[in-house]
Amino acid sequence: MSAPVLFGLLGAALSAVGVYGLMVGRDALARILAFNLLGGGVFLVFGAVARRGAGAGFAADPVPQALVITGIVVAFSATALAVALLKRLAALRARPGAAPAKVAGAQAEGTKGRVQPGGDA
Amino acid sequence: MSGAVLFASADALLVVAVILPLFAVPVLFLAPSRIAERATVVVLGLSLLVALAIAGGVGRSGAAAASFIGGWRPPLGVGLRADGFSAFMLVMTAAVLLATGLFAMTTPGRSRAGGERMPPAFWMLLASVFSALNLVFLAEDLFTLYVALELLTFAAVPLVCLEGKLAQVEAALRYLLFALFGSLLYLLGVVVIYGLYGTLDIILVAREATASPGFVLALALMTAGMMAKAALFPLHLWLPPAHSGAPPAASALLSAVVIKAPIFLLVRFWLDLAPSTLAVAVAPMLAGLGAAAIVVCSLVALAQPRLKLLIAYSTAAQIGYLFLMFPLAAASSPWSALAWTGGALHLASHAFSKAAMFMAAGLIAEALGHDRIAGLSGVGRVVPVSLFAFGLGGLSLMGLPPAGGFVAKVMLLSAAVHLGAWWIAAVILLGGLLAGGYVLKVVVLALQRPAEPLVAQPVAHWREWVALALALVAVGFGFVPLEPSHFLFIGRPASWAGMVP
Amino acid sequence: MAGLSASDLMLLAAVLVPLVLALAAIKPFVRRRVDVLLLVAPLPGLLAAVAVPLGQSVLVVPSPFRLTFALDLPGAVLLGGAALLWLAAGAYAVCYLRSDPARGAFSVWWLLTLAGSFAVFLVADVASFYLAYALVSFSAFGLATHDDTVAARRAGRVYLALTVFGEALLIAAFVMLAASVTEPNPLIRDAVAGLPASPWRGAILALLLVGFGMKMGLFPLHVWMPLAHAVAPVPGSAVLSGIVVKAGLIGLIRFLPAGTPWFDWGAGLLAAGLFTAFYGVAIGLTQRHPKRVLAYSTVSQMGVVAAVLGVGLKTGDATVPVLAAFYGFNHMLLKGAMFLTVGVAAACPRRRLVPVLVVAAVLGLSLAGLPFTGGALAKFAVKEPVGDGLAGLLLALSAVGTTVLMARYVLLLADVGAGATATGGSVAPGLRVPWAVLSAAAVGLPFALFTAVTGTSLALLFSLDTLIKGLWPVALGLGVAALIYQKPPKFVEVPAGDILVAAAPLARLYQHVRDGAVLLDTLLRRWSTAALALVLLALVLGYVMAGVAFPPHSAP
Repeated sequence: MSAPVLFGLLGAALSAVGVYGLMVGRDALARILAFNLLGGGVFLVFGAVARRGAGAGFAADPVPQALVITGIVVAFSATALAVALLKRLAALRARPGAAPAKVAGAQAEGTKGRVQPGGDA
Repeated sequence: MSGAVLFASADALLVVAVILPLFAVPVLFLAPSRIAERATVVVLGLSLLVALAIAGGVGRSGAAAASFIGGWRPPLGVGLRADGFSAFMLVMTAAVLLATGLFAMTTPGRSRAGGERMPPAFWMLLASVFSALNLVFLAEDLFTLYVALELLTFAAVPLVCLEGKLAQVEAALRYLLFALFGSLLYLLGVVVIYGLYGTLDIILVAREATASPGFVLALALMTAGMMAKAALFPLHLWLPPAHSGAPPAASALLSAVVIKAPIFLLVRFWLDLAPSTLAVAVAPMLAGLGAAAIVVCSLVALAQPRLKLLIAYSTAAQIGYLFLMFPLAAASSPWSALAWTGGALHLASHAFSKAAMFMAAGLIAEALGHDRIAGLSGVGRVVPVSLFAFGLGGLSLMGLPPAGGFVAKVMLLSAAVHLGAWWIAAVILLGGLLAGGYVLKVVVLALQRPAEPLVAQPVAHWREWVALALALVAVGFGFVPLEPSHFLFIGRPASWAGMVP
Repeated sequence: MAGLSASDLMLLAAVLVPLVLALAAIKPFVRRRVDVLLLVAPLPGLLAAVAVPLGQSVLVVPSPFRLTFALDLPGAVLLGGAALLWLAAGAYAVCYLRSDPARGAFSVWWLLTLAGSFAVFLVADVASFYLAYALVSFSAFGLATHDDTVAARRAGRVYLALTVFGEALLIAAFVMLAASVTEPNPLIRDAVAGLPASPWRGAILALLLVGFGMKMGLFPLHVWMPLAHAVAPVPGSAVLSGIVVKAGLIGLIRFLPAGTPWFDWGAGLLAAGLFTAFYGVAIGLTQRHPKRVLAYSTVSQMGVVAAVLGVGLKTGDATVPVLAAFYGFNHMLLKGAMFLTVGVAAACPRRRLVPVLVVAAVLGLSLAGLPFTGGALAKFAVKEPVGDGLAGLLLALSAVGTTVLMARYVLLLADVGAGATATGGSVAPGLRVPWAVLSAAAVGLPFALFTAVTGTSLALLFSLDTLIKGLWPVALGLGVAALIYQKPPKFVEVPAGDILVAAAPLARLYQHVRDGAVLLDTLLRRWSTAALALVLLALVLGYVMAGVAFPPHSAP
């Protein structure tokens, strides 16, 4: 097994773990972490894909490297934003008078989004 | 600068369209807020002029405008390109955002009524959303699109929780996480495409693309990712709380244009990028989800106790119409062009009418201090202009003449009838009925005489008129001719050439 | 726009003037002048009906919009009648609503409905017709629910629901109809010409009949009519029952292919119309309020018109639409006058009631077709194509029913008058004069129009044979009425909207479906469900594409 294939498979596996985590993650933090795993997997695959330049006679294709760097920056920003929101949420929930905290791992579900069946008499 | 010069340089304006909105941001940091918000509105106005100039240039030359950053052409360079559809979206977005800016501005003149001042953050996010949207509409490169979509999400999410309330932050986080999930699926698809073709330029990829296993995988991932961002049923979990919880100006923006960006890309992928055999195979599935969105979300809208939630669910339902378009537009018949024009028209008239309705709902809530539908009895007497704007917007959603939604509906219906897609015709009609239900329910209540006199806060007339102006634009779309639009086909791939009459 | 003749301008003004007035009424100082608004608005329409030569057509906006106005004989007859009724009812409304604080809003709805009603009679292209039809239908909601009582709100809801439904049916029909023509917005005439060859002609015809039949109140889609017509203010009821229902009539006149026999559909429409004619009478007899009696009478009369149109469709007789329009004209003025009579009777001091009742009786007998009244001409006109067979007999029997129903109306009116607590010397001239003028016009005007419309000499009407044919149903009806009303009848009053009670299971079904949708939505909006759905969607998309890209049997 050549290195690029190995990296590609590892990337795929990492992505799968990330997707699984996003599907079953019970709280927002778990989902943020899963998002990062999935992102890591995608970038790894992208890195492996860069080997295709070899077919054209280059040592490697530099474009994916640049794109992966950009992607990492974007994913980092996304994580930062998500964590900031999460911290804010925790602060709001801890505030006295806030809605009774849901069970640990509560879903980030707005109470406003709830619908009472037949609520419009 | 004479118009001719302006039009001649449409190519150069593409970069300007992306960058110009961002010029507002430093002003917002430096100047006092009152000046800064006016400066932002001026920038929004200029951006509308730029968008119009691009559209004018595209229309006059009859070909897409293109610009290559640093003169590097794809596959190595990154291209910006405005065809008829892009230019159409640019103008629509600029108009809605300018109206949003005018609506959010601290009321000019003597009246201090009309809510609090929007925080500087709102204006920065507005400018960023604008820039990101323009990039989505112009970028030719799949990775640039990824970055543009992420920028759009990062600018849109904080708009949801501007006021920092618990429910808003929850909604924002949920929106962000689901959108990120979708983005990464999209990015994975992009990676696969790069691996296959060594380029990410849409036109170059479309030229080489065949229905290979890798390309099928990439399309599946990219499409699913965009559906998540477009909140297509059953992936609409984040939309109702996010769109209904935000301040009215932000809701208008999110529901009217932000949601259209991923839909725009889906149109690009399926009508420009994918081989038509695949498009024909997948289109019924997209339409099926669209139909489910129309039926289920409209029914849920009917059950909503609060006005803003009703409108948010209506957005989730109206998205469905744009997906109903796919089998008709992908059918490669002369009627596809009509269906496609109808879909674009629906997209635009929905943008204007929905922005008007969210603004009107915001004003109603401001006047009454709540937006419980059961308590809206007689509100028409308090804010008649707002109610009129809501009603006109609703007219378009119901697909009644003379609103834009009517013409769009007739185009889609005609195409469906001619192509024998009876179930699509039936869903379009049913959707109109359900929209009639939830719009008229509100309007009828508001026209009633209240049981007890309403206590209402004054609202700024200025804002009411902005909402009405948007609704009138939506109605104005009802006066486009019932035939395929030439402008929308400028610069489309050659496969469309045979369909344009 | 150069080159508009005076006739063109008159056609345009008929619709534009009321629209402009409605727009101007945004300004409170305009809105306060209700009298000017209501009296000026119908005048251009009246002028157009009288002065514009038939066959005049004006292309207002050229292709691809093709907004076209045209005046033909059925359109002119109905337009003229409508303008007269709008004028009389408007004058009446000025006085009737004098102390109503919301009369400004009422007059805006009034103007919009008026503009829409004129437009449906005048426009000649499909899209404008749909627009005009929607305008008159939705604006009429404002007239019906003006009093904002519990009953009015319910009536308004039912009306709106059916109206939205009807609009959906019609747009489907119009789109299919226009499919046979290449222009984006064809003239109605051209579109209908393609109907017999259309592959979907059955579906189109069914949609048209149900859509327009709903507006005309054909059973079982009549349920909104007794509700809405009874709750509106008196002048509003007059125009709703007189004019707005005629939008359905003009729709059938314009969209049914004249001159092409279509036996099955024609027979179906004939049967539905005749059934409705008797059904309206039967339920109307049980009603205890004169306005509801009148509303059911409208149901019945529109049944008669539908039956006549059904005969035309059955035999392909191209003269029938004009005759139906003439019948509609007659009903328009009579029913308008009769509704105004209810208001006059209620405002009348007891000792002056008798003349009012006499007028009411004359109007009622005219509706039933008593010889020497205008109604007799209308009955005579439609008798011709229907013939003397079973359908003709049933039509005559429906006149018997109408006579009995009208007797009921007059008796109830007497009760209303007797119960009224009006003081003062007489009815206000603002009510009395428009009412009297309209009543006289209703009985007399058909004579002036008869020959022009039917091409038959009036002398024919006064033959003994015709007189007997006209007289016996009325005489029989009066006899039956005398038998029934010797004692106060003990009918159980059928609740207005009669079979609407049958809609309760439907409403429950809707509730269940809606609650089901809400539950489904709640489930789908869970993160775990949505995330699973997203992944599944990606998989299914890939599977669907793979099925096409690599079909299992394609291997050579």
